[in-house]
Amino acid sequence: MGAARRDRVTGILLLAFAAAWVLAVWYTVPAGTSEIVGPRTFPLGLGIALGVLALVLLAASFVKPAGISTDDVEEDDAEGKALAGWLYLRLVLSLVLVIVAYGFLMEKVGFVLATLVTVAVMVGLILKIRNPLTIIGMAVGLAFGCWLLFGKILGAYLPPGTWISLF
Amino acid sequence: MEAFLTALSAALAPDAVLAVLIGTLIGLVFGAIPGLTFTVALALVLPMTFTLETTPAIGLLLGTYIGGMTGGSVSAILLGIPGTPSAAATILDGHQMMRRGKASLALSTAVIVSTIGGIISLVVMIVSVNLVAKMAIRFGPAEIFALVLFGLSTICGLSEKSLLRGLIAGVIGLMIMTIGLDEIDGVQRLTFGTVTLQQGVNLLVAMIALFAVPQVIDAFVQYYRGELQSIDAKDVRFELPKLKDLKENFWLMMRCALLGTGIGAIPGTGGPIAAFLAYAHARRSAKGEVPLGKGNIAGVIAPETANNAVTGGAMIPLLSLGIPGDPATAIILSGLLIHGLVPGPMLFIEHPDTIYGVYIAIIISYIGILTIQLFGIRFLVQLLRVPAHLLAVAITIMCGFGAYTFRNSVFDVYTMAILGLAAYGLMRARIPLTPIILGIVLGPILEKEFRTALIFAMPAVKWLTKSRRLEAPENAPVQPRTDA
Repeated sequence: MGAARRDRVTGILLLAFAAAWVLAVWYTVPAGTSEIVGPRTFPLGLGIALGVLALVLLAASFVKPAGISTDDVEEDDAEGKALAGWLYLRLVLSLVLVIVAYGFLMEKVGFVLATLVTVAVMVGLILKIRNPLTIIGMAVGLAFGCWLLFGKILGAYLPPGTWISLF
Repeated sequence: MEAFLTALSAALAPDAVLAVLIGTLIGLVFGAIPGLTFTVALALVLPMTFTLETTPAIGLLLGTYIGGMTGGSVSAILLGIPGTPSAAATILDGHQMMRRGKASLALSTAVIVSTIGGIISLVVMIVSVNLVAKMAIRFGPAEIFALVLFGLSTICGLSEKSLLRGLIAGVIGLMIMTIGLDEIDGVQRLTFGTVTLQQGVNLLVAMIALFAVPQVIDAFVQYYRGELQSIDAKDVRFELPKLKDLKENFWLMMRCALLGTGIGAIPGTGGPIAAFLAYAHARRSAKGEVPLGKGNIAGVIAPETANNAVTGGAMIPLLSLGIPGDPATAIILSGLLIHGLVPGPMLFIEHPDTIYGVYIAIIISYIGILTIQLFGIRFLVQLLRVPAHLLAVAITIMCGFGAYTFRNSVFDVYTMAILGLAAYGLMRARIPLTPIILGIVLGPILEKEFRTALIFAMPAVKWLTKSRRLEAPENAPVQPRTDA
């Protein structure tokens, strides 16, 4: 994606976000009892400010598309060639999903089991490292290392798990 | 003199020194791990002080606080993720130095200037405790608002290539922090009826999301692109900064130390503001072949001197007035109260030995930091030998745990994942992420102080409105001028 086109997409997305934000603030945040600046003023003003800035970004992308440094375009092109769009999207989304799943598992099966599973999934499925020693070493090392350091040495609270509780 | 000698013998007792050093080590470790700030460390060590004598207890808390403030630079330089909000400004040049193969130089410089900044702030604190405290207590909402606005102006310097993108980022940061329960009116803002959102987006969670998650995703993308980033750590060695570099930046250090002390003395401000202001100052005055933002040593010296100088400054209103400037000093205040010490002017009269004990504990803590981190640097840089994609897996775990542990809430982990995805998108759109942090850090203070200032000014505003109406009612006849 070219730099100017990317700016247009960014501008449109930010404008849509700003519009949604302003509407949400207008309909859900009361004006308050303060006579000049209430609880609605700041979020509303900021939403409008973002909208204006997004419009400027959008306009600038049409006015001077050549204003973007060529370094950025080259960098984008290089990345585009190296990694197909769908693969890239799948990777990013799967990583975010893993983090969400890690949080869920921490609460349900406890810190140690959740860490074991998450690290094994990341190393084995996302990084696609097939060496079982690396997978097991990373998973066990990180899970028990963190348990020892945070839980035992530093005395931090580690979620015990509501479904299964190992420690 | 007698009080000083009493304090000296108590503070140099083996148990007190050990408590300070353990606290320093805990602070360094917590500060160095992204997501585990010294505030968390202080909260964890506070129960440990219950069974200790007064001096070791205060020493443990102070050691943790100071160690944590310094430790934040380790992950900022090595991983490009600030261990604490105060170290966010250190990333800009510290991480660039690491990329240029100067990680150990950046780390040793950071710890040395941190110690210098801390000691200078301690001297300033001892000399001017009454004067500065009197001045700081006079700061009203309008003055703090002006200071925060000044802090936000650093967005201009942090906008990288485009001011427009920097402003967009700053506004996004300010927007994020309006979510939650409004502090003044108690109104829910954009919580959509959920209880978990009432506390708003946690600063720590937002910091992990903005700094760590995009880095993790980037490391995986690079791995997929076949760029096996096994960082070459052969060049990394034990390296002290050249005396010439320190001499060249001597006055920068002095100015940043005084700036940090001054900012620290103002409640509600703290390390991040001081560090960013110092960085902005360095941007204007820095010399050298490498420009600031690309790995200039001045970009490490300025924020690290300032954020550690905050520790001395923050002690001024805490000890002399009992006003904590931030969550960390609030925990220290709790520790003092638990031990029957009520900070305020009377503390100087009733327990001068405690005050001297605090000064000595701070000095011991800085000596400890200097020793531990200088000798530990070689151990810390071993992190660089771990391949980036495997380190990314470990960072993901630390991020998840770090986000969870601050409030023991799985909701924070989900928030981190969503914000991290958004941050990565913004990064790809070439929107700088640092101004977002600036907005997040300063946003709540900015709004609160602005509205409080207006509430204070309301009677005057009303009086003015009323006066104008009285002076010029709609149908009033025009008075003939008599001064002609």
